[in-house]
Amino acid sequence: MTDWQERITAGTDPSVRAEHTLRYAVAGPVVAQAGTWCDLGCGLGLAAEWATDGPFGGRLVLVDVDEASVVQAAAHLRAGDVTALSADLDEPAGRAAVRAAVLDGPGPRAITCFEVLEHVRDLPGVVELLVELATEHATTVVLSVPNDAFWAIENPFHETTWSAGAFGELRAMLPAEHVYAEQLPLRGSRITVGGDGGDGGYEPGAIEPAGGAAASHFIAAFGPAAGELRGGAQVFEADQHGERAWTRQREANLAHLEAQVADWRTYIHDLEDRLGLPRAGSEAAMALERRGE
Amino acid sequence: MRVAFLVNDLQLSGGIGVVVQHALQLVRRHGFEVTLVLVREQDDPHWAYEPLRDLHILSFPQACEERYDIAIATWWETTYSLFDVPAERYAYFVQSLEDRFYEPDAAERVGAGLTLDLPVAFITEASWIAGTLAELRPDALCMLVRNGIDKETFAIPEQLDVRRLGPLRVLVEGNPRSWFKHVHDAIDAASAMREPHHLTVVCGDREGLGEVVADAVVGPLSADEMAALYGESDVLLKLSSVEGMFGPPLEAFHKGATCVTTPVTGHEEYVEHGWNALTCDWDDLEGTARLLDLLARDRSLLHLLRTNAMHTARGWPSWDQQGALMALALRRIRDAPAPGGLGAARALMSDLSAGVHLYAAHMQERKELAHQARLVMRLRKNPAMAWAKRQRNRRWARIATWPLRRLMPGTLRRLLGP
Repeated sequence: MTDWQERITAGTDPSVRAEHTLRYAVAGPVVAQAGTWCDLGCGLGLAAEWATDGPFGGRLVLVDVDEASVVQAAAHLRAGDVTALSADLDEPAGRAAVRAAVLDGPGPRAITCFEVLEHVRDLPGVVELLVELATEHATTVVLSVPNDAFWAIENPFHETTWSAGAFGELRAMLPAEHVYAEQLPLRGSRITVGGDGGDGGYEPGAIEPAGGAAASHFIAAFGPAAGELRGGAQVFEADQHGERAWTRQREANLAHLEAQVADWRTYIHDLEDRLGLPRAGSEAAMALERRGE
Repeated sequence: MRVAFLVNDLQLSGGIGVVVQHALQLVRRHGFEVTLVLVREQDDPHWAYEPLRDLHILSFPQACEERYDIAIATWWETTYSLFDVPAERYAYFVQSLEDRFYEPDAAERVGAGLTLDLPVAFITEASWIAGTLAELRPDALCMLVRNGIDKETFAIPEQLDVRRLGPLRVLVEGNPRSWFKHVHDAIDAASAMREPHHLTVVCGDREGLGEVVADAVVGPLSADEMAALYGESDVLLKLSSVEGMFGPPLEAFHKGATCVTTPVTGHEEYVEHGWNALTCDWDDLEGTARLLDLLARDRSLLHLLRTNAMHTARGWPSWDQQGALMALALRRIRDAPAPGGLGAARALMSDLSAGVHLYAAHMQERKELAHQARLVMRLRKNPAMAWAKRQRNRRWARIATWPLRRLMPGTLRRLLGP
């Protein structure tokens, strides 16, 4: 079953968690030079800690529509000055509160806005706020959206559907000098010597490119420090137990359903024999079907 | 924000439908005040479309009494009136490169091309147009806002039915009077199929369509009826040579039909050969018929294409999303400085120069033809020719001229006149 979990928690699938933490890690240089850092859609703040090497020295503004999450994030992340703000970005008042909180802190400013835009109904309002802060208030914004179109998954939590084409349209609305990046999934493997997971003998370095790779997310950065954005990669240990449980469950369900189909087929054939009808799937039955009988 | 869309009329068409959808989104979801300005005298009643009631509709003289934040041309001829509508900014919603709608020697072709040189901001609905405009007018602000799809009318089925049996259900739609839609070619290609098939032609203009061989000819159809028909069809056949955003296959994809299409502009946005559709060669009706035969025979391939078409549709944005982008684009245009005239003037003079050369070539050709016509007329007035004309139907004359008529049919008629 599709996992519609939209918040990053300790139990989130490692691949999803790695994607999220990598985005923060890549935004690290932008955050490092900021006096004020605002994380829009901060959730529980588990991924945001990857944006800094330690406590953030400036003012940290944490924003989420869910008040409980913001409180948890504020407790989890360390900074010189933390502002926890529960705000709905779909509402003008919510956006005004964010704007005020960001501008209240010292510059330069940075905003991370990962996996937020697809959840907002008032897309123009949020994009205009980000562009205004970037162009008029020396704020660097790093944002991302998922490539929904590739897997054609209809996510009930998403207000908008994103693809390379849709992100291209959005980019036309951003400042012309913005930086564009694509996030590509990786698969890997790891060897541990003597059962020691922490030997660090061979760190993943070279990544073998594959022609079939497709972006999982699209990223854009704009504002004074947008050029600081650097590429990066993150690997994670696969959750083999979880994957095995999911795969076995699927296998079991499939086997169960196949057995059920076999039972029904036997029953139907039995019924067909008793009624003197040709068996379904036989040439005679297909001929009848073609004639519409 | 007050926005005026200039339109020629409000008759049912793809282009007007897109303008109306954007206008409705701007009004209902983004707090815009939108006016549709009819730049021509109207003979026919408006398209009977209920949501039009939510929009202001003004005549051109009435609009000239108002003032707007942005006035937007939506078809090349509406640019004639664009700058008479008082507005802070002027924009041009380009739905196709409309010069291609006309034959090479039509005056409208040059005129339509020149309108792309105006000092306006551009909004377009297809990536290929955005790319072309960026090359033609690097000085101009150009925004891409693709058309959305009405996800309620063209609701994607929860599960796609497998169609193993029965004739391949082929659908052809389009305006038969538009030469670049090649509707009759599509009908001919479907008719050339060898495998069992059922051809439905959707056409609002029966007179323009004429007599065709098809199992059903229907239309005009409402959007709901069209959606239902797509749902019953296996494949939409499009052999157009000019398209803008190329919406019909995308609507068909939403209802679980695949498409066989020429590689027409706009197809590259979402059509993938062998994945969600099949692309055929230009002017290859036999080859197109064989592709349709393949789908009729290989139902597994048909189902794969239909499945992927449906998933492609799932990733396409709704009108809600694209309305939001249109709102953003218009606010961006309003906030941007008014376009300077230099870039526009440069483009205009360059195209005008090409247009003048083209016009001069046509005039020269016309002069040469007129000269030849004068010679022929002088020859026809010669008494000997008049005598020959009187004698030509006599038996002896027909016997004497038989070899000439056989070798060069029509020559005598052209020489002597009717």
